[in-house]
Amino acid sequence: MDDGGQKPVLLSGHDLRQMFLQGTAYFEQHKEIINDLNVFPVPDGDTGTNMALTLQAASRELLSISSACTIGEIARVAARSALMGARGNSGVILSQLFQGIARGMSGKEKARLPELGRAFQYGIVYAYKAVSKPVEGTILTVAREMARGSRNAIQEDINLIELLNVAIKSGKNALERTPDLLPVLKEAGVVDAGGLGLIVFLEGCRQSIAKHAMQPVSAALEQKKTTGSSLPIPSITEVPTERVNLKEEFDARYPYCTELIIKGDALSVRLLRDHLEELGDSLLVAGSADAIKIHIHTANPGSVLQRSLTYGSIHDIKIDNMLDQFTKTRWHDSSQESGRITRTAVEQAATDRIFLSGEIGIVAVVAGAGFASIFTSMGADRIIPGGQSMNPSVKDIVDAVIDVPAESVIVLPNNSNVQFAAEQAVKLVEKEVSVVDSHSLPQGLSALLAFEREKSFAENFVEMCLRTRQVKTLEITFATRDAVVNGISVKKGDIIGITDGTLLVSGLTVDETVLELLRIVLGEEEQIITLFYGHDVGESEAVALMEQVVADHPQPEVELQFGGQPLYYYIISVE
Amino acid sequence: MTPVRIVTDSTAFLDQETVGKYNVAVVPLYVNFENEVIIDGSISNAAFFAKVRSSAKMPFTSQPSPGDFVKVFEQIIKDGNDVVTIVISSGISGTYESALNAAKMVDMNRIMVIDSLSTSGGLAMLVREAAEAAAQGKSKEEITAIIEAKKSKLRIFFVPDTLEYLKKGGRIGGAQALLGTLLKIKPVLHLSNGKVDAYDKVRTMKKALLRIVDELPPAKGAFPLYILHAEAPETVETLKHMLKERFPEAQITISELSPVIGTHTGPGVIGISFYAQ
Repeated sequence: MDDGGQKPVLLSGHDLRQMFLQGTAYFEQHKEIINDLNVFPVPDGDTGTNMALTLQAASRELLSISSACTIGEIARVAARSALMGARGNSGVILSQLFQGIARGMSGKEKARLPELGRAFQYGIVYAYKAVSKPVEGTILTVAREMARGSRNAIQEDINLIELLNVAIKSGKNALERTPDLLPVLKEAGVVDAGGLGLIVFLEGCRQSIAKHAMQPVSAALEQKKTTGSSLPIPSITEVPTERVNLKEEFDARYPYCTELIIKGDALSVRLLRDHLEELGDSLLVAGSADAIKIHIHTANPGSVLQRSLTYGSIHDIKIDNMLDQFTKTRWHDSSQESGRITRTAVEQAATDRIFLSGEIGIVAVVAGAGFASIFTSMGADRIIPGGQSMNPSVKDIVDAVIDVPAESVIVLPNNSNVQFAAEQAVKLVEKEVSVVDSHSLPQGLSALLAFEREKSFAENFVEMCLRTRQVKTLEITFATRDAVVNGISVKKGDIIGITDGTLLVSGLTVDETVLELLRIVLGEEEQIITLFYGHDVGESEAVALMEQVVADHPQPEVELQFGGQPLYYYIISVE
Repeated sequence: MTPVRIVTDSTAFLDQETVGKYNVAVVPLYVNFENEVIIDGSISNAAFFAKVRSSAKMPFTSQPSPGDFVKVFEQIIKDGNDVVTIVISSGISGTYESALNAAKMVDMNRIMVIDSLSTSGGLAMLVREAAEAAAQGKSKEEITAIIEAKKSKLRIFFVPDTLEYLKKGGRIGGAQALLGTLLKIKPVLHLSNGKVDAYDKVRTMKKALLRIVDELPPAKGAFPLYILHAEAPETVETLKHMLKERFPEAQITISELSPVIGTHTGPGVIGISFYAQ
């Protein structure tokens, strides 16, 4: 293609294909820089690896088709294969950007730059729509600012390489501002990993057009690490992933957990959701045309009831003030999870059973052979091996959902970084599928306990979502680098204890960490502690620790199970 | 109008006062140990479970023979009464079959046999209703109609300490799926169409109790409510406290399970029976 002299620039299928391939190759070379950016110093959350795997899925398909294809066809193949291969939340968002580009390029032989710019705008819309609760200060912000910057540039009528320069520059500016938008980033004094990933990919795209020397942002970052110059990224190793930003916290502004069923005719889940959304958060709306179950955290349960009444009669009303329950421990979703896992580490433990018409299948994403057996014993029909850093792809989830011989399927992602991929998978399968927001293995088990085959899909789904909130998740692993988190100083290799995403203990032995964490977390109400020991812990060690836990806490029941999870010595559920 | 006498089986576990007040005839089931047969209700649960623990093999239970019912029916009719028999659910015992066969042998025109689809406190509640109606001079047909209407509203929930006993006794029905569970759980079971079925699963007894208390219809003054248990006095106190708090006017009867039922639930079981709205 012609990158400079002649205007207007016309981009061919071949050009776009080259950009994708070069972008992927370049990203692959730099993914470790992105991997190193992690808000918590725990062995997990490989944003770089997830984005690289997503891009590779697209590139593999692109290599298998002719470079003479139209730009519409190239974009379509890239988008479809990226979506199927998408891993982790950042991978899913990346695939949505491609989705928008494919829509913008649809039916086109070649494209002019304004058309490319418009297509990228579509991508932003898709990406925001894919995220149930868009959070600024993430890859979303970076992508949006790239689009904004490019839009202005296109008006000045520039060539492609200049356009990419503008996009990358706008993206970098936005990346620098991510800590101002997200307190969690600011606290750690860092920028967003997914956003950086997008910039790196575009740098690779740019390389396919201009091979001449141009210092990429990633190289600048590398330099910064050694020189300590004034680039606005204080410490490259202390950058949170965007995953953490999507964490849902118990919000004291919405203390009333309100549940009810609306009965009527021709009820619409979508209409109700739209109508109730502004009244609070954690909104769940599920059901059918004649009965819909509502769950919402709100400041004004009266308004929820009033609005519901305009749709039909209301039943089984339940209103709880969550402040009563949560005064002792601040409630977090767990975002830290069970660590790296290899595909071979988990046996496909699910056994087949005969499904009756109308029965519901369960698919769970699980790390560790022990956990896989436990999930299977409790009724999971398919286990997708996967933990924090080996996030399953959208396709892995699609395959499992299709494989279950049931018309309705409930998916337990058991990890906040698998949530988006699961939600995308839902859209690709012609079955009734819902994703429970289980963000840890204990939350997934808690949800699975509530599952009853005899109950309806909607009843099960709502109950399972509610149950994830009734368990605390404690995790014991090791620090992957030095850091100060939550006011606690952590040295690389230290044993650390995390409760529902908050680092609370550091620097003790594994056993001491467990005991200390339990001392901090346990209140009057807790009745059962379940210790799941990991792959690297021996049974006799675990038994000895359990005895100490019993001695420390004579009141609650204590149960020991083999979890088999990698990298996390213990995962503990307290309820 | 011929007066009516009510017959039930030992699993209703009526107290002596009720039996005496309403002149209810009770036909016992049996618990069979290796070298000994125990008539249900003839020994205390404490003595019974001590026997279970010291016995190498788990005992098994058996229904009354048709002959056991025949003797009772013949005597009542000879005394000039009609009979309404209400027995343990046919979904978990053959007692209903025995009673029906006995009725056919004696006189179907004088005897009604009702499958309670329940047992224990649930059965006891129906028997009290029937006895009250009989005391008011209602006919066996009228009483049967009342009981048929009432039994469809009867709910019974129970939480065994372990599923082992139900498993050994083969009375597990729809709760079968819970057996392979590796994690320790407290199953909340109920009788559904007269059979044991899983209702919910939770991790702790406290949650299980909350779960069954939640099943009660909204408070509406005084209503009868049974707390059922075998060898679980502390849990009974906890549950009673929870119920009193939410339903201050409920007429709570605390009843043990008969040894026959205890054989299948094991000690430590707690339950509740009541009428749904």
